[in-house]
This record gives sequence, structure tokens and C-alpha cells, in this order.
Amino acid sequence: MTKTAVALLLASLLPGSLLLGPAAIAGDTPAPADAYLYIGWPNDGEVINAQRFRVWFGLRHMGVAPAGVEKVNTGHHHLLIDTDLPSDDQPIPNDRNHLHFGGGQTEAMVELAPGTHTLQLVMGDHDHVPHNPPVVSPKITITVR
Amino acid sequence: MLRRLLLVACATTLGAVAAQAQNTPAPANAQAYIIWPPDGQVINAGKLWVRMGLKNTGVAPAGIDMANTGHHHLLVNTEPPPLDEPIPNDKNHIHFGGGQTEARLIDLPPGEYTLQLMLGDKDHFPHTPPIMSDQITITVAPY
Repeated sequence: MTKTAVALLLASLLPGSLLLGPAAIAGDTPAPADAYLYIGWPNDGEVINAQRFRVWFGLRHMGVAPAGVEKVNTGHHHLLIDTDLPSDDQPIPNDRNHLHFGGGQTEAMVELAPGTHTLQLVMGDHDHVPHNPPVVSPKITITVR
Repeated sequence: MLRRLLLVACATTLGAVAAQAQNTPAPANAQAYIIWPPDGQVINAGKLWVRMGLKNTGVAPAGIDMANTGHHHLLVNTEPPPLDEPIPNDKNHIHFGGGQTEARLIDLPPGEYTLQLMLGDKDHFPHTPPIMSDQITITVAPY
């Protein structure tokens, strides 16, 4: 956090370095280069005949740890609903569009209104900040009936 | 004399760990299950990812003392081990102490295999009651 603040300060002092800013101030927690995050179910384009359904989180070459646990090559899941990726240098927001699974959960019951929705996973480190590089799933679109 | 003291100390430590770990409560409705493969699946090329599913509880790496968590163990061709000891660590009891939720199995000789999941607490002891999946059988096809 302090590093981020310093980097932001430096970036603001040196306009020429602004483009380099985001890379330099991304989360400090390294992620395995081959970490692979994906939504196991539902599939992209799935039409679901229920407003309440289970989403399972797929993760390879990396482990799950509850929020607050600082352990190499781990993180916890966040499910983004109907939103784009948040900033990768700050804690992932905690609201109805950004569901946190700080208990180390690897699946979730989700309730969504009928219509089209997007789902995407992003791992957060012990402080809910995305890893460096960020571990992000493909974004899928589903239809709830 | 010193040796005897050490033995007593060791026995006491083991006893304490056992008594403590046996009591790690399983969260209500916690359920481990194998997401993939399904029971009866035929596997080609002798390799697969086993996707480990867990309902109503969380995953934490081994050594992490946190309520309502545990880490996966994949039992291959074996029955569940005793509930009052740490889950063995060998080729039939694969530990995922890093908090992994998928297991890569490769170079499996053709034949039938049983797979079953068992959650372990921070010290690799089964919870009370144990959190176990159904045992499934898969067949690795000749390749």
C-alpha cells in the first residue's frame, strides 16, 4: 500500500512516466506464470432455466487460501458479475458486482434476475489485491430465464 | 535417562496433536465431491485433471488454522484411512497442502482406478465428522 502510494506520487511528479505507472504499481504479490483461472460452470453462452444456480471456480497451477493468509502461490476467488475488471493495483471492490470468497470457497450459489449477465473470476491476494500478473478468467456471458 | 525423557516428550506431543486435531469440527453440510471425472468415466492417453469440489466450506493450505476450512487429499485405489490419525502421505494418498483444487494425474497405466476425496485439517487429520466424497471408479483405456 505504501509502495503504491509512493509510485502514484512518483507518477504524478513525472508526467512522462505515466504510461509506465500501471505496470510499476500493480499488486506486489507474484502469481505463478502458468496460473490458469476459469469458470468451470456455467459455460459461455449457457442458458439457465433457474435464477439460482451454482458457479464453480476452476484454478490450475495455483492454490486457494482464505483472505488474510499470506502464502506463496495462493489467493482467493472473486466473482465479477456484470462488470469489467477493476483496477489491478488496488483491493478488489466488495459489493454486489464483486463477490468475495475470503473463506477459501471454490464454488458459489448465485442468484440473478432473468436476463443476460456476464461472469468473470479474478484472484485476490491476502489483501484482496490482484496478483502480478493478475490471474483472471475469461469473461463469459450467460442468460438467466 | 535423557533418551527416555525425549521419548516421553515425543509421545506427549503426539498425543496432544492427536487429541486436538481429531476435534476439528466439520462445517454443517460440508460436502466434498469429485466434479470431474464422473463415475465410470473412460480416460484416454493415461492422463487427466481431477477437479475437486467442495460445498459449504473453504480451502486453506496445510498449516493454516482457520475455522471452516481444510485441504484436499485424493485417495487413489485405497479405502479411507483411520479417522484419528493424519492422512498418510504416499502414492495412494495425494496431498494438496498448497490449497490446490485440481489434481493432474499423468502416465497412468491402463486399468481401473478408484478415486475419492477426503478433506484434512491443518495437521492433515480428517474433520469430525469426516468430509469425504463418494468413491468413484474410472478406467484408463489402453494407449
